[in-house]
Amino acid sequence: MIDLVNVSRLYHRGADEIHALERVSLHVDRQRFVALMGPSGSGKSTLLNVLAGLDRPNSGEVTVAGQRLNEMSEDQLAAFRAHTVGFVFQFFNLIPVLNAVENVELPLLLTHLTKAERRQRAETALRVVGLSDRADHRPRELSGGEQQRVAIARSIVTDAELIVADEPTGDLDAKNAEEILSLLQTLRRDFGKTVVIVTHDPRAEKWVDEVIHLDKGLLLEKRPGGAARGMAGA
Amino acid sequence: MKYLPLVLRNLGRNKIRSFLTGAAIALAIALVCILRTMPAGLDAVLASAAANTRISTHNEAGIVYSMPYAYLAKVRAVPGVVAAISWNWFGGAVDITKGVSFPNFAVDADQMSQVYADWPVDPQVFEDFRKYRDAALVGDSTLQKMRWKIGDVITLQSTVYPVTLSFRVVGAIPVANNGSLYFQREYLAQALSAAGVNFDTTGMIWSRIDDPDRVAPVINQIDQMFRNSEAITATETEKAFIGNFFGGLKQLVTIIQIVAALVTLCIVFIAANTASLSIRERIGEIAILKAMGFRKQTIFSTLLAEAGLLALVAGVAGAFTAWGLIKALQMFATGAGPQLGPLTQFIVSRVILVQAIFIAFFIGIISGWVPALGASRRSVAQTLREVF
Repeated sequence: MIDLVNVSRLYHRGADEIHALERVSLHVDRQRFVALMGPSGSGKSTLLNVLAGLDRPNSGEVTVAGQRLNEMSEDQLAAFRAHTVGFVFQFFNLIPVLNAVENVELPLLLTHLTKAERRQRAETALRVVGLSDRADHRPRELSGGEQQRVAIARSIVTDAELIVADEPTGDLDAKNAEEILSLLQTLRRDFGKTVVIVTHDPRAEKWVDEVIHLDKGLLLEKRPGGAARGMAGA
Repeated sequence: MKYLPLVLRNLGRNKIRSFLTGAAIALAIALVCILRTMPAGLDAVLASAAANTRISTHNEAGIVYSMPYAYLAKVRAVPGVVAAISWNWFGGAVDITKGVSFPNFAVDADQMSQVYADWPVDPQVFEDFRKYRDAALVGDSTLQKMRWKIGDVITLQSTVYPVTLSFRVVGAIPVANNGSLYFQREYLAQALSAAGVNFDTTGMIWSRIDDPDRVAPVINQIDQMFRNSEAITATETEKAFIGNFFGGLKQLVTIIQIVAALVTLCIVFIAANTASLSIRERIGEIAILKAMGFRKQTIFSTLLAEAGLLALVAGVAGAFTAWGLIKALQMFATGAGPQLGPLTQFIVSRVILVQAIFIAFFIGIISGWVPALGASRRSVAQTLREVF
């Protein structure tokens, strides 16, 4: 599903050069739940952005779902993200003037579906995350955990193969964090999604199939997570 | 169209800000509409105020310079001239310390009714004017302003001649734009004679021509007649004469329209600032939309649509507010008497409405362009790093 070969990403901050990623090579199979972990500034979010088509590497090859991202134009990358990737962010990032079902429907505006079809799919996605009864609620009327579930519904509504989540439990309490990790595991297991998350949360380890450790832009370690050892939900 | 609900929701995000921005645009558009009525309105006022067979003869050097009174007889003798009268500026003031508050002229009473045959004045009034030496005809607006009525005796102290004269108001002139007071030249001549002042000049001569088609040849003939005289004349139609008076006003209108254009430009900057603030507040959300796969063209279009739609609605409101105001003013002017009559000539036409709405939409597009372009071009990854 994901193939990165010698990917490097360099930032300039004033006169300084920051090596966010240095010759990172990575392979993630389909239908895997992978956690990118490491200290702040280790390059986790940069790696997530690169494999999601949000950022371009300075060097190296990035292939996701059989598509080489290096050679894509901005519009092609936008189309790739629209069809292949679903995003979940730490602070949920729902549009405050839209209600839950309208937020979920948002990515479907980029498709040729009719209004009725869009609404039907959005309602289905909300049902998957257990929020059918909150469809008409604005984000401010929802708890943090509910908002994150709406964000997950938004990420799956286009039937994207790859779900990427940047600190999805970072703004949640322990109970809601567990629910969100469980939901992401369900998406991997029951809906065949490939899920890649960036997290500091050690609780995530037991839910994922694979843990990848980064530090200072280098991929240090790749080891099986709790799910691979049958610990998910334990 | 499928993005319209999103555009509308974003416009309603900060209702007070949207309202205030819209109100500023609407006000500017209303102002532009009202000012745009002025050129056509002034033309209409000119057309309605002037008769097409009345001409004015005055000194070529300007109306403040006099001509020999003997010119009047020569003008009256020109074929095609039905009647002609002289006009002398009296410069009379009710209270000399306050100056002249309305125009007043000494005229030849004998042919007044023929020169101004188009005025809706009773023939008996013209007859009284001719018959009584101290008679005065007064424009309606001045009668109302000074609270005079027919039969009143009034006194004016001249700022031009060393005399103070009393007049009896014998009639009103119910003509829009005419607030002048007219009295007999003979009355002034006798007073000046008693004061030992020689009085053999005139400021203007107004003539009526028998046929509109003869106006141009008569004008030419009069000016030719005095070409080698001590006071060369300039003769013109009444419309041209009034137009020259309005010339200064037209320049003022031009200046006002330039100011209106500058106000519009200011509104562009204000609207651009508002759009910029609104977009800056949502820069994170915009990054999320781009992450989802919204192309920069789509982001740009929806942001521009927000600014354009707000300005369009405000423009329609402003244009129709101006239309309503002008209509109300017309109704008020129609009922308020002849002094406000000219206001009925100012019309917010369909062309003005369409132009104003187009200007409003243009304001929206221009004001939204730069911030929308900036937001659409911004890197998603960079924004996500900066905002979250």
